[in-house]
Amino acid sequence: MIKKLSLIVLLTSISFLSAQEVKFGDVTKEELTEKECPIDSSANAMVLYKYRNTYFEVNYAGEAQMITEVYQKIKIYNKDGFDNATRHISLFKSGSTNEDYSKLKAVTYNLEGDEIVETKLEKDQIFENERTYNFDEVTFTMPKVKEGSVIEFKYRITSPFYWSVDEFRFQTSIPIKRIEAHIKTPESFRFKPTYKGYFSFSPTKVSYTDSRMNQLLTRESYLLENIPALKEELYVDNMDNYRAGVSYELVSVEISIGKTRDFAQSWSDVAKSIGSSDDYRKDLGKSKSFKDILDPLVEEASGKEEKMKLIFKYVKDNIKWNGRDGVYFQNGIKKALKENKGNAGDINLTLVAMLRYAGIDANPVVISTKDNAIPFFPTLDKLNYVVAYAVINEKECFLDATQEFSDVNLLPLRDYNWEGIFIDNPNEVWKKIDILKPNQAITQYQISAKLNEDGEVEGSYNSRLTGHYAYHFREGIKDQDMDTFITSREDDLNDIEISDYQAKNVDTYEGNVSESFSFYQENGAEVLNDKIFIQPLMFMRMTENPFKMDKREYPIDFGFPFKDMYIVNVNIPEGYEMESQLEPFMARSADGNVEFKYSVSVMNNKLSLSAIFDIKEAKHSAESYLIIKEIFNQIISKEAEQIVLKKI
Amino acid sequence: MNFKNIVGIFLLLTSLNVISQDNSLAVTQISDELKKNANAVVRLSSLDIVIEKKNKMTFTYKRVVTVLNEKGNRFVEAYAGYDNQLKIRKIEAIVFDEYGEEIKKIKKRDFIDQSAVDGGTLYSDSRVLYMPYMPTSYPYTVSFSYEMETQNTAFIPSWRPITGYYVSTEKDSYKLKDLAKLGIRYKTKNFEGYNINTKNNDTTLEFYLSEIKAKKPEQLSPVLSKMTPQGMVAVNQFYYYGYNGFASNWKEFGDWMIASLLKGRNTVSNETIGIIKKLVTGIENPLERAQKVYEYVQNNTRYISVQVGIGGVQPIPASEVDRLKYGDCKGLTNYTQALLTVANVPSYYSVVQSGEEIVDFDPEFASIEQGNHIILAIPNGDELTWIDCTSQVHPFGFIGDFTDNRNVLLVKEGESEIVKTTFYADNINTQNVNAKIDLDANGNFTSNVEIKTKGIQYDSRFGLEDLSNKDLMRYYKNHWSYINNLDIENYKFDNNKQSVEFTEHLSLNAKGYATVNNESIIFSPNAFNKNTFVPDRYRNRQFEMEIQRGYLDEDETEIVLPENYEVEALPESVIEKNQFGEYAIDFSINENTIIYKRKLLIKKGEYSKEDYKLYRDFRRKVSKLDKSIIVLKKNN
Repeated sequence: MIKKLSLIVLLTSISFLSAQEVKFGDVTKEELTEKECPIDSSANAMVLYKYRNTYFEVNYAGEAQMITEVYQKIKIYNKDGFDNATRHISLFKSGSTNEDYSKLKAVTYNLEGDEIVETKLEKDQIFENERTYNFDEVTFTMPKVKEGSVIEFKYRITSPFYWSVDEFRFQTSIPIKRIEAHIKTPESFRFKPTYKGYFSFSPTKVSYTDSRMNQLLTRESYLLENIPALKEELYVDNMDNYRAGVSYELVSVEISIGKTRDFAQSWSDVAKSIGSSDDYRKDLGKSKSFKDILDPLVEEASGKEEKMKLIFKYVKDNIKWNGRDGVYFQNGIKKALKENKGNAGDINLTLVAMLRYAGIDANPVVISTKDNAIPFFPTLDKLNYVVAYAVINEKECFLDATQEFSDVNLLPLRDYNWEGIFIDNPNEVWKKIDILKPNQAITQYQISAKLNEDGEVEGSYNSRLTGHYAYHFREGIKDQDMDTFITSREDDLNDIEISDYQAKNVDTYEGNVSESFSFYQENGAEVLNDKIFIQPLMFMRMTENPFKMDKREYPIDFGFPFKDMYIVNVNIPEGYEMESQLEPFMARSADGNVEFKYSVSVMNNKLSLSAIFDIKEAKHSAESYLIIKEIFNQIISKEAEQIVLKKI
Repeated sequence: MNFKNIVGIFLLLTSLNVISQDNSLAVTQISDELKKNANAVVRLSSLDIVIEKKNKMTFTYKRVVTVLNEKGNRFVEAYAGYDNQLKIRKIEAIVFDEYGEEIKKIKKRDFIDQSAVDGGTLYSDSRVLYMPYMPTSYPYTVSFSYEMETQNTAFIPSWRPITGYYVSTEKDSYKLKDLAKLGIRYKTKNFEGYNINTKNNDTTLEFYLSEIKAKKPEQLSPVLSKMTPQGMVAVNQFYYYGYNGFASNWKEFGDWMIASLLKGRNTVSNETIGIIKKLVTGIENPLERAQKVYEYVQNNTRYISVQVGIGGVQPIPASEVDRLKYGDCKGLTNYTQALLTVANVPSYYSVVQSGEEIVDFDPEFASIEQGNHIILAIPNGDELTWIDCTSQVHPFGFIGDFTDNRNVLLVKEGESEIVKTTFYADNINTQNVNAKIDLDANGNFTSNVEIKTKGIQYDSRFGLEDLSNKDLMRYYKNHWSYINNLDIENYKFDNNKQSVEFTEHLSLNAKGYATVNNESIIFSPNAFNKNTFVPDRYRNRQFEMEIQRGYLDEDETEIVLPENYEVEALPESVIEKNQFGEYAIDFSINENTIIYKRKLLIKKGEYSKEDYKLYRDFRRKVSKLDKSIIVLKKNN
């Protein structure tokens, strides 16, 4: 008896759970009269209810397909929330197969007097458009939207790409009051969820037998409430890393009874799975055609390191990046070399193949770039890029030949996102490894100047840039018209006037960059009565704190560690002396990763400054935000301090 | 051998022939003069337009561009926009290396076909075919050509051989043949100083230009289109999406618009008529009635753009906007006009070229090509009051810098004409900062600040009232980025839409604003309106200078000194008046307070290129004096 009862309870709870909790058309006067979002008073709109149900079926042709039902109810508080009334549905297509939508229904609700008035979205207000060759778009905007309106829409997407489940997004640019989401998977398709975001949530799981499909099904359901909006902040690697959500990846499929095909489980499984592709297994070894190119190229090279550099340069010069990511080949080695272009796979896998041909221990390392977010769990789908990795005399060398100004262990910043998947087929090693962090980029500034009694300053400026500083300087100056470039430097440096400008070593990617010029600044110092007030760092001082907000939720990413070193010497006019000496100043974070040192002195008519701003790590936790902000503050106040020179 | 193959070989031979003729495509053939300051060189641009019939016009276009470096890629322009009535017959591109040798041929099927809808548009039938070529080395040359055909003859492209900076041109030609005898009209602008050859008779018009050097952009120059040659072209008779038209001047053009595009599209539901009538009951003044209607539209509609076919120039019917409560500029303006008719207020649909850059309609030359936006004029005695029906936030009668002070086409049955929109003069665009600063001995201050803006300055401020607290904090911290440690304690806004005046009331503080040095305190009295803009320095200025809008700032700050401190040094008061405006600062001491007054007037105007240096000196002086410091010392 008891058993039976629990079964009934279970069944009802199943049917209760699978049906959406809020019915289309359930719009109340309270919702329509609500003036302000209870979760966040600054919100322009709020999702009242967001429902998604994804499941799998076999269509009448016997093919597996994935169905996703979507329903949303959104409250619009003010005019700035009107954008939420315009919706875009993207439908992927590939060749003759495509995703399709159906059963689109949408209604706007307004309160007129005391009455709820419904306005339906008509067929002729729905637009279908081919955006590009592999995606169509359905667009509509809700009729009669006003401040206070509630809108509702639902639709269904049928997808033949059943292995590719769109991410469940539990956080959007507006707050969400309630989310209900389900995914029902048959036991023959094993999917693995990956969670992310700052909230903890987990699904409730129910397993039951579906009589129609004659399969054991598992349903995972998510119920979330009161989710705040995801808001942009500065110096964040990728906001998507912090967006609450879950993605599902196909791990294995049961092809016939008792026989499954595995996809991915651990990182070494992922590595092995990539390694077993033809691109990695066969094509990386097709090196016969390299003989004519490489033998003469490395003939005179004295060692492996020199060989590597020559080959790196050869690939850079001969295959240009077409802007596409890629873990695999797009064109293949032969075509990429013939047409001189290719994706990241073409370039860096060719590099690996060539390094191997030259006898260097080289392998591909597959990564996810910054714009692609961090993969939190082992997954193949979230990897989008490949770099080359070589070990020479136990020295690790990471190489990415897609960029003109990248170098050995000086990769484009997008590559420094996370770890990498090392795929060494020859030695059968497949594992996750660390990417060597970028070296600290250093700029040394040397300024010698002469100050006169009118407050005018003139002098010379020299700087030397290493690492990513040099990399970015080269990118910035490339193909620039020189006059325009100098004008923009004048702008950057508080409108000084520049002459004799020179930038050295900017056309190559190796070594340091140096910049030098003469300058003149009319109001280099302030003159009042018989005193001169000068900020000794002059046009080089920091004037604005990049961190303005009182608190921060997300980690800080500077891109790369850096160190700015300043040495300034200013000859002061005859007959003046410093009113009082300044104490040297230092500020430092508890972990020592951020440090600022500053000291100024005057001797024999010469004012000397030395300052160092040292950031040893690129990434800092959100907890250290206030300390970092405060150090920036202190730098600004210190550098703003006036040195008072008094007539003797 | 079948016929098809013969054709194939024939085509092959002709194309070979073309290449051998074009063998001058090597980069060495470009003169040094044209390479100077250029990222790309247009070797040839030729457009042949043939009007075969009233409803058939064809375009044959060829563009050969040598790209010298990566920044020159955008001048290749190997794409063609099309839609349901503008069809692409042929399209092709050939890529050559720096020696003029062919590298690759791109056929029509290899072009990428994509929707040309921008982010702000819900739907449009505009599409684009573009060349998918990725350059692998520089320089290279692309020879791009197409043939297109349309039924619409209303829109004849004008001739504009120079459309960008950092690009030079070897040869440019434009030929129009009017076989259908529709009647060519044209007007030329800025031809002086260019070696242009014009040929013209009843049925043809041709322009030729060669050897144009690359130009470099300069700050505060007039817009490029005001300085470079332009041939505006139109035909008197035309066909447009099923409508025949005739227009040789703006009056006739306006009448055609009414008859073909606007007529019969102004009905609204009885329910809405009832609402509007009730809204304006008892209000005598037509402008007040209009304001009620405008506010009704602002509160009940929103801007959504849908452009299909004739929908690019014809408004959707007022009854549709009435039903859906959204529309684009044409739809919302036409709807508002319909409602104003119900309220018994006359108004005129007007076509304008919108944008912060002021671009005028040409009073003497009527063409459908001018204008990209619609606004509404309401007669007010001898004047016109203007409203932009796409804005849900602007005060009635205020159009801001989006459509101000420019020639527009006012459409009025039998009396269409070019008129000027509202001009906001220098002394209307004001900002007044009134502040009291309490400074303490540690260099911290607290302050109450009031900022009042009017005119164009109102336009850039009143949006603050819609920002969230977090965005406001961000705004003020950026606005006063030179105040380190700024903390806004409180804010309140007054948006007076009647007088078009926005007031920000703020209380704030800043720690360590002043430098404290032993016994002295050093600080800048101008905490809230520091002008740091200094125009770029040009070693050799090419263009005239233009200030499109002037403004007037007048500020007063009262600074209360910390106890036991007195003034040691005060900057001198300054008054400077010149052709560009006026700058004045004044300091006075009153017991333990300093009163700091500041005035900056910048005058709208057109100035010579020699004046630019003087203007730069003036702004440099302003920037310097705005940073002036005061020194206080402890009294013992």
